[in-house]
Amino acid sequence: MRKTLILSAYLVLGTLGLGLMESDAADVYLEASRPDFQKIPIGVLSFQDGTPGTDHGRRVEEILIADLRRSHVFEVTDLTRLGATLNGEDGANHRLFEQASDKGLAVVVGGHLTSEDADLLLDRYIYDRGSGGLGAPKRYIGRASLLRMMTHRLADELVYRYVGEPGIARTKIAFVSGTGGSRELFVMDYDGYSPRQVTANGLLNISPSWSPKRRFLIYTSYKHRTRQNIEIIELETGKRHTLVSWAGMNITPAFSPDGTQLTFSTTRDGNAEIYKMDMRTRLAKRLTANRAGDLSPSWSPTGRELAFTSDRSGGPQIYLMSADGSHVRRLTFHGKYNAAPAWSPRGNWIAYVCRGRGKFNICLISPDGRKRKTITSGPGIDDSPSWSPDGRHLVFSSTLKGKSHIYMINIDGTGLERLTFGGSHLSFPAWSPA
Amino acid sequence: MDARFWTTGLTRAAGIVLLLALGCSTKGIQASSSSKSLEEGMAALAQEQPVAEAGEVQGEPAAAAGQAEQLGGEQLGEPVAQQQGLEPEVFVGDLAEEAPFPPPALSGEERVTEEIVVATAQPSEATRQAEEEMREEQRQTAIAGLEDVFFAFDSWRIRDQAKLALSGDAEWLNSNPERSITIAGHCDERGTQAYNLVLGEKRARVVKNYLVELGVNAARLSITSYGKQRPFCDEQNETCYQQNRRAHLVLGAR
Repeated sequence: MRKTLILSAYLVLGTLGLGLMESDAADVYLEASRPDFQKIPIGVLSFQDGTPGTDHGRRVEEILIADLRRSHVFEVTDLTRLGATLNGEDGANHRLFEQASDKGLAVVVGGHLTSEDADLLLDRYIYDRGSGGLGAPKRYIGRASLLRMMTHRLADELVYRYVGEPGIARTKIAFVSGTGGSRELFVMDYDGYSPRQVTANGLLNISPSWSPKRRFLIYTSYKHRTRQNIEIIELETGKRHTLVSWAGMNITPAFSPDGTQLTFSTTRDGNAEIYKMDMRTRLAKRLTANRAGDLSPSWSPTGRELAFTSDRSGGPQIYLMSADGSHVRRLTFHGKYNAAPAWSPRGNWIAYVCRGRGKFNICLISPDGRKRKTITSGPGIDDSPSWSPDGRHLVFSSTLKGKSHIYMINIDGTGLERLTFGGSHLSFPAWSPA
Repeated sequence: MDARFWTTGLTRAAGIVLLLALGCSTKGIQASSSSKSLEEGMAALAQEQPVAEAGEVQGEPAAAAGQAEQLGGEQLGEPVAQQQGLEPEVFVGDLAEEAPFPPPALSGEERVTEEIVVATAQPSEATRQAEEEMREEQRQTAIAGLEDVFFAFDSWRIRDQAKLALSGDAEWLNSNPERSITIAGHCDERGTQAYNLVLGEKRARVVKNYLVELGVNAARLSITSYGKQRPFCDEQNETCYQQNRRAHLVLGAR
């Protein structure tokens, strides 16, 4: 029944939003990733500029088109040259939207920008062919400096309308950059814009990971030459707190999907072992016990299992275990170097770094080990894959063009996009939850 | 569904008891898995609700640590929240309850604000000194003390050539018994960041063990790893890679 709901989603726009809100969101969420999911054809009309002397309207068009293409939900047609979306004082030009939809488009979006004091007003209109009309208008209001964010919100609204998912246009990516002996944490928009520095202590701060509500980052900081602590930082205030400061290296922290458990790797026992700490009681439990290195725990979306890297068989390979440390089994057998697992938020893939013919690329493997594919093919070193919350994209670091930078790619291997151009030694990208 | 599991007090209690029980039975944990300790686990759990106050009541975390020891768990972290200003209860409370995605309004007006405000952390007074010391140590790292040891790709085996260098290092250390060193493991840029941290640590550790075999007191040898974070050269060829696959011996301050 839900499948029917989704496949005919854009035909029943009027009732869709309500319907999705009342249904089981988790199940609906999975539907848009089905192999038979058809992208929804959408046309983007102009966002003609009622703010003379600026290029705000054109920027909204560009940002929106890029967001909708990246969403992988829509097949986008650029109609911004078709003319003004307003019909004098009467509001949206209904005829224009109707004509545009005749080009085989299920949805047509367009709008109008004006300014009022320090605010921009972004009016958007959505024409839905299925219901044969313009739906209720909506106005986004925000400071001019938030133009990108306003547009990202509109893109995510469209994704939500048609597939019931939060969308990824408002998400962020944390990463590491720095020169000399220092590496600092940064956070940028998901499309590489607006980087902000998070830490500024001149030390090595690496391996950031998000809390489920995006309020905190956890990461490893070199507080002493022979001790690397796991710290938590509140993004809004910059306040920090040390979570793990055992002797040795305390690295690769990751929160469970519900945020109640923290897993990490520590060398306090003489080699890297994975531990799990309850965030409320602060009690820790050792999950692995052997003489090899065990690291990079990555939670399954259910919180029941962990993928991790271990070199117990010689070289690094991906293993799985239950969240209590039981039922350990090896997942990867192809190649001699497989590391840095990242479990998809949909649960159906584990991304990791695989080595083949001297190259380090990004691979995917299903948790049962039956399906495996390599999705990057660059000559450089790809590292630290991290999933978009919609499970359709990965962000990773790569030396594809020489120096290490942050890239995004669709999980089918298409849509490779470089996100960073400034900074140096960019590494450890981590995509925020939605 | 799993997230919800933790949000009601009753099921949460059951879950943690289960967790504690598992903790006692897992290999590698020296648990005195008597029923008494489980009961104490229950008692600790009963106190779980006022966890938010734990930051204020200084005596409480120590008591909890005592119980943790019996249960085979361990108290983590240091009470540095005071130094940093971020109170533990703030994030514990935040993490425990995950808000569902709030659906966007599909009409009307919406004021857009920055959803994730990012402030740049300024080192507080209490941490500034420790961090300055660390920066000084980092500068010291540039000063090579003794002969370094080089490794093959993805290997931490000490090669014959390295044994020669290390016997020289051991000789110097044995005739300068007041000096201590840090052995820092490094890796070339190939491979993943995280695995290279562990690989670097293994390289440092085997060098330490070898020096101990040659008569150097282990207490004078500390180890660390920079993985591929701090290369000696940046070129993408084997000559440079070999330079970066090393254990770097750094003389400590007198």
